[in-house]
Amino acid sequence: MKLASHYNKVSVIISVSVLLVSGLVYYLIINHIARQQLDDGLSEEVAEVVNYVAQNHKLPKPVEFDEDQTSFAKTTLTHFDTRFFDAPYANPKEKKVEAGRAVSALINADGENYVVTIIESREDTEYLIQIISAITLALTAVLLGILIITNRYVLNGLWRPFYRILDQVKWFNVADAGKVAAVDTKVDEFKDLGDAVAKMSARVTLEYQGLKAFTENASHEMMTPLAVITSKLDMLIQDETLQPDQFAQITDIYSAASRLSRINQSLLLLVKIDNNLLQDTEKLNVEKVIMEKAQQFHEMIINKNIQLDMELTSLEINASRYLIDVLINNLFSNAIRHNKNSGNIKIELSGNRLQFQNTGDPNPLQQDAIFERFYKGRTSDGTGLGLAIIKNICALYHCEIKYAFKKGMHCFCIDFFKPV
Amino acid sequence: MKLLIVEDEQTLRDTIEKYFTEEGSICEVAENLKTALKKIAVYEYDCILLDIGLPDGDGFAILEYLRASGKNECVLIISARNSLDDKIKGLNIGADDYITKPFHLAELKARLMAIVRRKTFGSNNILTYNEISIDLLGRNVMVNDKVTVLTKKEYDMLLYFIANKGKVISKNAIAEHLWGDEMDMLDSFDFIYTHIKNLRKKLMELSGKDFFATIYGIGYKFV
Repeated sequence: MKLASHYNKVSVIISVSVLLVSGLVYYLIINHIARQQLDDGLSEEVAEVVNYVAQNHKLPKPVEFDEDQTSFAKTTLTHFDTRFFDAPYANPKEKKVEAGRAVSALINADGENYVVTIIESREDTEYLIQIISAITLALTAVLLGILIITNRYVLNGLWRPFYRILDQVKWFNVADAGKVAAVDTKVDEFKDLGDAVAKMSARVTLEYQGLKAFTENASHEMMTPLAVITSKLDMLIQDETLQPDQFAQITDIYSAASRLSRINQSLLLLVKIDNNLLQDTEKLNVEKVIMEKAQQFHEMIINKNIQLDMELTSLEINASRYLIDVLINNLFSNAIRHNKNSGNIKIELSGNRLQFQNTGDPNPLQQDAIFERFYKGRTSDGTGLGLAIIKNICALYHCEIKYAFKKGMHCFCIDFFKPV
Repeated sequence: MKLLIVEDEQTLRDTIEKYFTEEGSICEVAENLKTALKKIAVYEYDCILLDIGLPDGDGFAILEYLRASGKNECVLIISARNSLDDKIKGLNIGADDYITKPFHLAELKARLMAIVRRKTFGSNNILTYNEISIDLLGRNVMVNDKVTVLTKKEYDMLLYFIANKGKVISKNAIAEHLWGDEMDMLDSFDFIYTHIKNLRKKLMELSGKDFFATIYGIGYKFV
């Protein structure tokens, strides 16, 4: 739920409950005051009756004015507390019964005790209370409406810079050179946030660029010493007085140097893919690339006595030829390298889905680890970067690569996106 | 053949110089751009081995100088950067080939021979070595005037060995020449053995001579 909605919810609940409670209290107080006033009036009437009796020594005639109705009843009681109570008031003019307020009191006239009851209409006070309640309710509704509208529009407006900053953070890609732009706002908090985000992203980008430059430079710097090692070995083996076991050691040094060079090349390639430096994008047919590679790997496939099945349909994509070459190359090379003798390789290309399946290790690979840099199986003597490169190439072209282990086959599945 | 080696790394420069001198070429060296430009201005070379990353500027300046002054030397770029852009730039402004560090000297030699052949032989595309003559355009191989049919790999290997005649070539260097990076070394050694055995047999059938000497534990030599 959005902050504005949270705020809205809380403020509406609080306002409504405050208004309801205060409305109730207001109603009760007004009711109480009105009743008090009625009771005061009734007390005066009783006093008048008592006065009358005192002066005239007899009961007044039960008068019926517009408002009050007085009645007397003889009683044997000698003690009676004056009490006020609600009683129906029969309006003689309008011929209907209204709510009324009554008082009963004991008076003494000529030695006889009487209970005098005076009833007064409450209609006017009720009406007043109703009007007041209606006005209160209307005010509550208007206030709520204004509150909701204010919250919605003013708050949304206030928060807009925040969402702009958030969008920029969302789309921020450390590999892009693009900067997070400052947000134009008068709110100090958002200004600070925007500045902080801009500074942070600039710093992160700078450090990332530095790291990339470092990787690239380090890899390049290693190439010359490697070239020295290789060429020195090339010179060394010209000495034919060397013994076979010395030659065998030299072969190992050669292999180590060439592996180091391959790791270096792979790291450089990863940097290049990350930086999107290979811009030789062209329209190419994945099917053709697979056919070419199958030809190139023919010897190795035959050597391991591997059964290769291919079911290919044509698929054109826009991509760097070099990278797609590397992609297919690595898939083939993995499928052969990690295969067993007399195993199977099955390649399917249909729609925009490419599947490479191969036999090999009877156990599934660690799905989340295989695409990590330098992840290697126990028996692998590759660079450990092949799958990382495949993954990065896929990421560059927004394709997805998935690994699955089905019926004893290791399956790598890529969904290509067709050119628009 | 007269060569100029432009390379700032002294050990590498010396090694390349030694390898090519042993084989009979005349080598001169330059350790920076200034010296290289001075030498090019005065002398003529068949081929220049050019490192792109030099302490006092990049090697492209030499290519531009050669082009501006209408010189026709072969140029083989040696670069630590396996960058497509550098490659395209280099080839566009007059380099004949591009090799990335680290490389085997045998590979360097083979590449160099190929570009020199391309440039100097003109219409005559026959490469002769003792009884063997190779039509480089038609990719036909004749031994004692009899045609022998070689596979693509055997043909590549034959040219590679002829360029490095008399030198011991390691199996690693051969593997990298034939397959690049796409293959595990140990696997490829078996293939090399098979390919050499076949090539050796085909050449022997027509010439009665064994051109290959096996240097046990390391590789082969073409004699």
